Amino acid sequence: MRNPLADVSIPVLDDLIKSDYVRSLVVGTVGVLGALLVLGTLFPESVAGDLSGIVFSTSTAASTARLAAPIVLAGLGGIFAEKSGVINIGLEGLLIISAFVSVYVSSVVGIGNAVLGVPAIWVGFLGGIAASTALSLVFGIVCIEFQADQIIAGLAVWLIALGLAPFMSTVFFGGVNTPNLGASVGWKYSAVMVVVATLASWWALNRTAFGKHLRAAGENPKALDTVGVSVSKVRHAGVLLSGVLSGVGGSALALSIGQFIGSGETMVQGKGFIAIVAYLFGNYNPIGTLGAGVLFAGLDAVQIRLQQLGYAIPDTLVQTIPYVVVILVLALVGRTRLPEAAGEHYETED
Amino acid sequence: MNPAVHMDGITKRFPGVVANDDVDLAVERGSVHALLGENGAGKTTLMNVLYGLYEPTEGTVFLDGEPQSFDSPRDAIDAGVGMIHQHFMLVDPMTVWENVVLGNEPRTWGGLRVDEAAAREAVVDLSERYGFDVDPDARIEDVSVGVQQRVEILKALYRGADVLIMDEPTAVLTPQEVEDLYDVFEELTDQGKTIIFISHKLGEALSAADDITVLRDGVNVGTVASTDVTREDLAEMMVGREVLMEPATTPQEPGDKVLEVTDVHADDDRGVEAVSGISFELRAGEVFGIAGVDGNGQSQLVEAITGMREPTDGEITYLGEAMAGESRREHIDRGMAFIPEDRQERGLVMSYDLTENGILGSQHDPPFAEDGRLDWRASRDHAESVIEQYDVRPPDADAEAESLSGGNQQKFIVGREFERDPDLVVAMHPTRGVDIGSTEFLHDRLLELRAEGKAVLLVSSKLDEVQGLSDRLAVIHEGEFSGVVDPATVTEEEIGLLMAGETLADDSVEGAAVHDAGTDLGEAGDEEVDA
Repeated sequence: MRNPLADVSIPVLDDLIKSDYVRSLVVGTVGVLGALLVLGTLFPESVAGDLSGIVFSTSTAASTARLAAPIVLAGLGGIFAEKSGVINIGLEGLLIISAFVSVYVSSVVGIGNAVLGVPAIWVGFLGGIAASTALSLVFGIVCIEFQADQIIAGLAVWLIALGLAPFMSTVFFGGVNTPNLGASVGWKYSAVMVVVATLASWWALNRTAFGKHLRAAGENPKALDTVGVSVSKVRHAGVLLSGVLSGVGGSALALSIGQFIGSGETMVQGKGFIAIVAYLFGNYNPIGTLGAGVLFAGLDAVQIRLQQLGYAIPDTLVQTIPYVVVILVLALVGRTRLPEAAGEHYETED
Repeated sequence: MNPAVHMDGITKRFPGVVANDDVDLAVERGSVHALLGENGAGKTTLMNVLYGLYEPTEGTVFLDGEPQSFDSPRDAIDAGVGMIHQHFMLVDPMTVWENVVLGNEPRTWGGLRVDEAAAREAVVDLSERYGFDVDPDARIEDVSVGVQQRVEILKALYRGADVLIMDEPTAVLTPQEVEDLYDVFEELTDQGKTIIFISHKLGEALSAADDITVLRDGVNVGTVASTDVTREDLAEMMVGREVLMEPATTPQEPGDKVLEVTDVHADDDRGVEAVSGISFELRAGEVFGIAGVDGNGQSQLVEAITGMREPTDGEITYLGEAMAGESRREHIDRGMAFIPEDRQERGLVMSYDLTENGILGSQHDPPFAEDGRLDWRASRDHAESVIEQYDVRPPDADAEAESLSGGNQQKFIVGREFERDPDLVVAMHPTRGVDIGSTEFLHDRLLELRAEGKAVLLVSSKLDEVQGLSDRLAVIHEGEFSGVVDPATVTEEEIGLLMAGETLADDSVEGAAVHDAGTDLGEAGDEEVDA
């Protein structure tokens, strides 16, 4: 059955998004929001009124941007890794390590100080990116050079970060949660970084030679190898980019409130795994991943507000709304196609 | 003038093996040169030396008289040597032009952007210059194998190749596509390119090449002009003894009906219909051949018949009983032998030794199984007898299947299946990857089975094989028989047309064979077929 939403034509989007699947996702989301706005404006006293009041408020926008940043950025990183043929399910770990290190470095420099004119909080931001990139480098070496199983290595990245970050926090700050820095990175910075990273990723994947090589490495590495491009270099680049982008996401998450929370599943709370869903959801298209990430973060932000409204629905049920929606959309809209050689090791013949 | 390629005294040793032993090869500019030999004769090794994958142990490669020393294929490409592999090195979801320029993309904006316009123009220019009809924006997964091959040639030309090496270029093509490829050869050589192609098919070397070099056991047996030799001469050079080129079939009256297939439909793994209403019957002492380009439903049809795929519609009757829906085990137990097309996926367990592989399918039956235990002594004896009778090398029942060459794996499977004492043998590409000497032997065994009154269903993409062995020959196209013909009288051109889905103008041939199946075989069988 053909999805009717896929036939809707939008001038600019049509050029950016060739996939019917992603397009129907975008059109569907915009349609639901539009309907909500119209209904809410017409009937301000109804449930639709309450909902549109929540959805179209600045505070919801702010928390959406805050929650979306780690999902979208890690998702973009995941695209680079997986397109090159390395499935990186360690995104969660990369987010955790960068969230902690960004706060740690900021506090070591000291809020109010600066390094080479860069304020402490931005030094911490870069520190978070560096930590995540370093961990992804290790992951890349283990997977590409030593041909470890990518899923197991990815789980290891997550588990290492999950244990290490709260431990370091205890060592340096005396508790799994760091004290608040007393300074933060505003949500508008997060929003700008997310948009810029999305557009830059789209360009890199679709318009540059590197993007073509990345795709070839994931689809048919031998074809790339025989024209003289090193498959392992391209794959390392893809994995490192996943580290850099996840680092931006993790740093943005922690520094947006100025604190690292290490209890339970840490403050990252599965956002790295949701990022994987987001890019699969977006069918490896950065624009689609942005849409999916924002949708997800938006639902999360809305469900937090909904709990405060006092409808007679248990909170635990409200908390599941984002997940239920994901499953519904995935089931209705269709499925994605994995790169042919994703997860497979490649060895040159000579 | 210096030859375009001159390989002087090339010796390549691997641990324990001499793959090439002091081989000389000279190829003139603008000529087509065939490198002919059986599997393991050292053809591919020699070409791997030429395009830089291997460094020769001894000897030198000269291009236009200049000595070369290649460290990697990259060096060879830079020196103007392009390789077109048997399995195409293309990225399926990418377009033709993206594939052609992959790794050498023209760039603008300081490298931040691939110059699509320039890339597409370069591809169109090359395509027009050599008379290729290729759409630069088509996706590889949407174009035919023949077009994919041209994309591979374009890739080499785009990188400035003057010498094109092609590994078994016709293996995946229809007869018509093969003709087109020969035209492409002509166009390329007219413009000064040099072509070397690897082959083990005599006919193709004779019709496409100017000169032919035959390798045997890593040694150059001789280089001859294609106009000076016959098929028989070449076969003798390849094998080292006289070879009987045509299998000798004798007339034989077919017996009872063994297999009847009625209007069978079957889907492929994606759920798309691959077999669309096929009917035929097969009698004892008869060989029924199915020819066609790979991927036209032969796999699914055979899977339906052998119990590996449930047909969506239609009936399959074997020895008078309906078989559709019966388990694979039931098929084996009732005496249906099966030589699968993918020997490594379905024919053997690659990490098992030959003793273990030899009882696959019979592991429940005496003498191999007794009281729930396996009798390894009997299993080993069985494997050794197959190895001996079918000349499997190395003759070692403890060798793991993956350590054998493809041809020897195939011989072992064929031996195992034939020794089951079947009533019906379903053979898919029984001699794929097997050298001429062994092919001759396997063909003889197949005909012996026929003489013993077994029924044989033979599916092959080798025309001369199905044509030479079959009593009746069906041609399959897109899941249907486009014709059932008498292999003794049909021409290769006619089969080619049927393979492309056309019908023959002379419908009397088709009609008679379809409806009168199995009755007029007395004449069909006794012809010596020239393929």
